[in-house]
Amino acid sequence: MSAEEKNIKLTRRDFVRKGIQFSILGGIGVMAGGLLPKLVGQEYVWQIDTKKCTHCGRCATSCIKTPSAVKCFHAFDMCGYCDLCGGYFRQGVKNLNTGAENQLCPTAAITRQFIEEPFFEYHIQKDLCIGCAKCVKGCEAFGNGSLQLQVDQSICDNCNECSIARDCPSNAISRVPSGKSYLMQGINWKNET
Amino acid sequence: MITDKTKKYIFLSVAFISIVLFIFWLAYNPVKHFNASIPGLDHRPEHKPDTVTTVNIGEKFIFIKDHTSSLKGKWPNFRGADFDNINKEEIALIDQFGKDGPDIVWRLGLGEGHASAAIYNGKVYILDYNEAKKTDVLKCLILETGEELWRRSYKVNIKRNHGISRTIPAVNDLYVVTIGPKGHVMCVSSDKGDFLWGIDLEKAYGTEIPYWNTGQCPLIDNNVAVIAPGGKSLMIGVDCRTGKVIWETPNKGKWKMSHSSVMPMTYAGKKMYVYAAIGGICGVEAEGKNAGEILWESKAVDANVIAPSPLVLDDGNIFVTAGYGFGAVILKLIPDGDHFSAEIRQKYGPTEGICSEQQTPLFYKGSIFAILPKDAGSNRNQFVCCEPKDGKIFRWTSGKATRFGLGPYLFADNKFYILDDEGNLTIAEADRSKFKALSRTKILDGQDAWGPLALADGFLIMRDSKEMLCINIRTQNDIKK
Repeated sequence: MSAEEKNIKLTRRDFVRKGIQFSILGGIGVMAGGLLPKLVGQEYVWQIDTKKCTHCGRCATSCIKTPSAVKCFHAFDMCGYCDLCGGYFRQGVKNLNTGAENQLCPTAAITRQFIEEPFFEYHIQKDLCIGCAKCVKGCEAFGNGSLQLQVDQSICDNCNECSIARDCPSNAISRVPSGKSYLMQGINWKNET
Repeated sequence: MITDKTKKYIFLSVAFISIVLFIFWLAYNPVKHFNASIPGLDHRPEHKPDTVTTVNIGEKFIFIKDHTSSLKGKWPNFRGADFDNINKEEIALIDQFGKDGPDIVWRLGLGEGHASAAIYNGKVYILDYNEAKKTDVLKCLILETGEELWRRSYKVNIKRNHGISRTIPAVNDLYVVTIGPKGHVMCVSSDKGDFLWGIDLEKAYGTEIPYWNTGQCPLIDNNVAVIAPGGKSLMIGVDCRTGKVIWETPNKGKWKMSHSSVMPMTYAGKKMYVYAAIGGICGVEAEGKNAGEILWESKAVDANVIAPSPLVLDDGNIFVTAGYGFGAVILKLIPDGDHFSAEIRQKYGPTEGICSEQQTPLFYKGSIFAILPKDAGSNRNQFVCCEPKDGKIFRWTSGKATRFGLGPYLFADNKFYILDDEGNLTIAEADRSKFKALSRTKILDGQDAWGPLALADGFLIMRDSKEMLCINIRTQNDIKK
């Protein structure tokens, strides 16, 4: 078969058809390539082991992000819903009300709401939380430990070397599989990355 | 050349821009998006004592059977017969649990709480809360078997708040006095449970029930029930036979009820009742025509939660401690005519010396023993010993590997019996030079095993949040005797 005959056989229609076939195959290949690591392996993210955390406060200043990617999370199942909340009020406070002078949080990131006598519900405003751990320390000392520090995966840049992990005095921060990206006590998290 | 007219325009323009900028600067509020943290944002309603709900104290009674016991041991109220948490019976007690573990005599399921037992002549008295029936229930049991003899109850709706029940009855030959979680005082006969009288402290005295329900345990002294309601009377003495209030201490400082209990003390020939309220601490004349009169008071105890009771030391010294950041204060009473003044000998924070969050410390042979609170820094939750002359110097601590949470402890047969939060019971040698654990065993499931221990006739009673348990800790030799 001569070269001329070959050129005659590769029509424009054939060219387009082959092009589409190659595109589809290529797309499938790219998708398979993307899914392969998730199927055969896992990504890892930084997270705090709450059992090791000593609430030293370095998470607030060591993170490269401002404010820190470490935030206070609230395990509602563990909370006692106390009026006198060690995570909300400063020690020795006389008036249990929402006045700024009574609050432990330096940025007023915790709100409290009366539910029914004698219970109050506490919520963390993530955009205000700086991860200083003052509330976590208070809750651990006087309550059930329902306030806990965690790396907020929706904010964390997942740096190759985490500057908080480098500074953490109790080695509480380590890489964990992205499928189990939160290590809080008292909560069954849905897997989220 | 710039003409005068141009200069004038430039000047006017600059002046105009400056004025505009000044007005903008004045009008601009850089913090207008801030939300002020002011009282009331939690929408808390104003507190009003419950004057509507009527509680018919002692309304129901179930008699099960009679019982006469040969046992004569007594742990008749909170902290035992002498209010010192020391069992002084001449009974040899175990110092090892052995291979088979503790000798469990009986178990009893209870409503969630920390209420503990009083023991009197072979009978056990507990004020429980039945969550299903919503009743305070005073139960009388046989010490050796845990079988119930009778129960007296009354309906009162109480919500769970870190447990519900948390007081210990006071018992003598004739009477049992209880204080329920919502301040309902009940007096019944100790033998048959016959109802004698009741007082609703919230209604009668305007008592403000403390956070997490009432923790104050009553005291019976010469058949007078001594109770500290706060509200309109700081302390009252009630004739157990008639229910008549025979003396009252006015509450001029508007002090409030704490979780602390009234402790008797005698110093410089005066018998007094010492009470650490929310607002301050005081001593109240205990006998004579001036009974109920305040002998001394001090605002050195300014904690907003006080669970431990005042610990009476030697020579007119009183050790007062509280958790939640308070620490401790040692007061010295100085006689001043018929009254006293209270001098602060030492005051320090929770990381600086011996203090306690929940259990009342123990004073034995001139030393104070306590479990440190959770906010005591690196020594937190350790069992420690110190001398009263300086609460900041520890003779010893139990060590970082031996912590006890907020659990109770007592002293008997020259040993400490210490229960931790998780239901592990430790026997430790009573030694002023070092801490030495002799034996340890898991004995309760242990959610919040905080109820004070009670010991009489070799039967040690303890509880966690949902179960009470009695073990026999007599030595085998002693049992054979």
